Amino acid sequence: MILHYKCPSCGSDMSFDSESGELACDSCGRQDKIESYPEDLITTTFSEDEAKEYHCENCGAVLITEAETTATSCSFCGAGVVIADRLSGHLAPAKVIPFTISKEEATKAFQKWCRKGLLTPKGFMNADRIKSITGMYVPFWLFDLNSKVQVNAVCTKVRMYTRGEYIYTETKYYDAFRDINLDYVKIPVDASEKMNDGLMDKLEPYPYDQLKNFKTPYLAGYIAEKYNYTDEELLPRAKDKISGYIDSYIRSTLTGYHSVNYKEKTIDTRNVNSYYVLLPVWMVIYDYNQSEHTFAMNGQTGKVVGKPPISSGKVSMWFGGIAAGSLLALKCASYFLGGGFW
Amino acid sequence: MSGGKIKKQSLFFLLTIFILFVPWGISVNADSMNQKQYIYDYAELLSETEVEELESLSSELSEQMNTAFMVITVNGMDGKDIIPYVQDFYDEHAPGYDQPHGNTSILTIDLQTRDVYLAGFKKAEQYLDDARLDMVRNKITPDLSQGNYFQAFSVYIHTAHDYMGFKPGVNPENILFKWWFQLAVSLIVAGIIVALMAYRSGGRVTVSAQNYMNNNQSGILNKYDNYIRQTVTKQKKPSSNTKSGGGGGGGISRGGHSHSGSRGKF
Repeated sequence: MILHYKCPSCGSDMSFDSESGELACDSCGRQDKIESYPEDLITTTFSEDEAKEYHCENCGAVLITEAETTATSCSFCGAGVVIADRLSGHLAPAKVIPFTISKEEATKAFQKWCRKGLLTPKGFMNADRIKSITGMYVPFWLFDLNSKVQVNAVCTKVRMYTRGEYIYTETKYYDAFRDINLDYVKIPVDASEKMNDGLMDKLEPYPYDQLKNFKTPYLAGYIAEKYNYTDEELLPRAKDKISGYIDSYIRSTLTGYHSVNYKEKTIDTRNVNSYYVLLPVWMVIYDYNQSEHTFAMNGQTGKVVGKPPISSGKVSMWFGGIAAGSLLALKCASYFLGGGFW
Repeated sequence: MSGGKIKKQSLFFLLTIFILFVPWGISVNADSMNQKQYIYDYAELLSETEVEELESLSSELSEQMNTAFMVITVNGMDGKDIIPYVQDFYDEHAPGYDQPHGNTSILTIDLQTRDVYLAGFKKAEQYLDDARLDMVRNKITPDLSQGNYFQAFSVYIHTAHDYMGFKPGVNPENILFKWWFQLAVSLIVAGIIVALMAYRSGGRVTVSAQNYMNNNQSGILNKYDNYIRQTVTKQKKPSSNTKSGGGGGGGISRGGHSHSGSRGKF
């Protein structure tokens, strides 16, 4: 691993000055102690012969392995046409959450999950046709976002009362203003082109307290995918992920009103910090009825996502059962209300 | 491979439906000892076969409710009003399915005055109260006005019979009591639940804002809620008296038999 220290003043690379024992910037002359140097500004790249990169000729996936591990087939498409390349000089992940679930545990957890499916066909529930199960580090960008929100709204409170022969409706109008600061930290956005975004979103949450500084040995025995998108490209998706949170927060600050009509709403979201991390995912490829189903499992929590096949027999059984049950319930309700059973 | 399984499932399904729809409520009752005639067509509005048909329909439905559903048509009442006419008819003819002066519902029309009157005696006074008789009358008045007497009478017999199946005091036309509504609701409920199950089978998003928000740094920096103005609108209270059109209600016959009723024109 090669560490790069960016100068906090001018942005050019700092070097270690052995005389003073401090980091020195050649361009502007700034000096910093290594111990007090802000961690955010350190970038790491892979050194030579530390890690290898594989390109799949078939599907275009790019994989990273530890130098000692040789990939012989693509873990996405299974094709045996992978070309190795050196990875020196490329941006290395800043952090990693290691796997805590072993392959055996993952297989067991997957089988248990299959049995829980209420609509899955019986043949699928046995989970005896797992074609492959691969531990993979999926590239993510974690964003720390800060949003400044200013909202101006016209709100009403409605009160109804009766006096004599009349019903009065009294509507009070208020001019409401809120200035809100919102900090969201470690919003994960997957930087892999191959992975389905919806699938990856469902895998959350990851235990972020388990984040470790990245070291190549973590890759041993697993395969990592290289990021396809930079943090700049993914910022809109991160903003999109929190927009719902922001809206519901704004709504929670305007309670006690019968109606809220926004006149002005400015949301300014800035990227405070973003870092490249690898998160652990078990990819399970399952053969059922001549077609492959892909599932993903959170390598820390064991949560499984992915679309299992659906048995039409079980769907009709549930449908019939629920329909008959609710019909019976409605009939009983009608009976107790005095309507007779039929 | 799962053919046998599906067969078993559909068998179970059919069985459930069968149990639900098999009628339990078949009551066994002999022909009425008292009530022999249900249709008194003095105005001769119906053909002979129509009278026969209505007689058999009425005797069948009357048996189920233990209440005689009667129809009287007249062409002029010699100056008598329709309500006393019906009361006297009840006193004199002593109708009733269970006994003389028993459970009876009578529909009377007078072609001369174009009056229509519905009355319920004994059990029918309770189960066919003024409000329900109003509903029956509103249902058949268009047919009476157009001269579809046979149609109007059979609708009356069917509706009065159906309404007596509901406890007194509830609205028999409540949508909750309609079988098609119940069936539609249960199918929709089942559809929604199963669709939700299928949708959620692939896992779902379990994170919320709380997972990512830094509570120390987030919050309201500044706020105000300024009162601007108010508007007041007033609306007259809806009057609780909604009785309209005909009405008339029930009464007590000279023979001392109280009854419910609904009166109108056609």
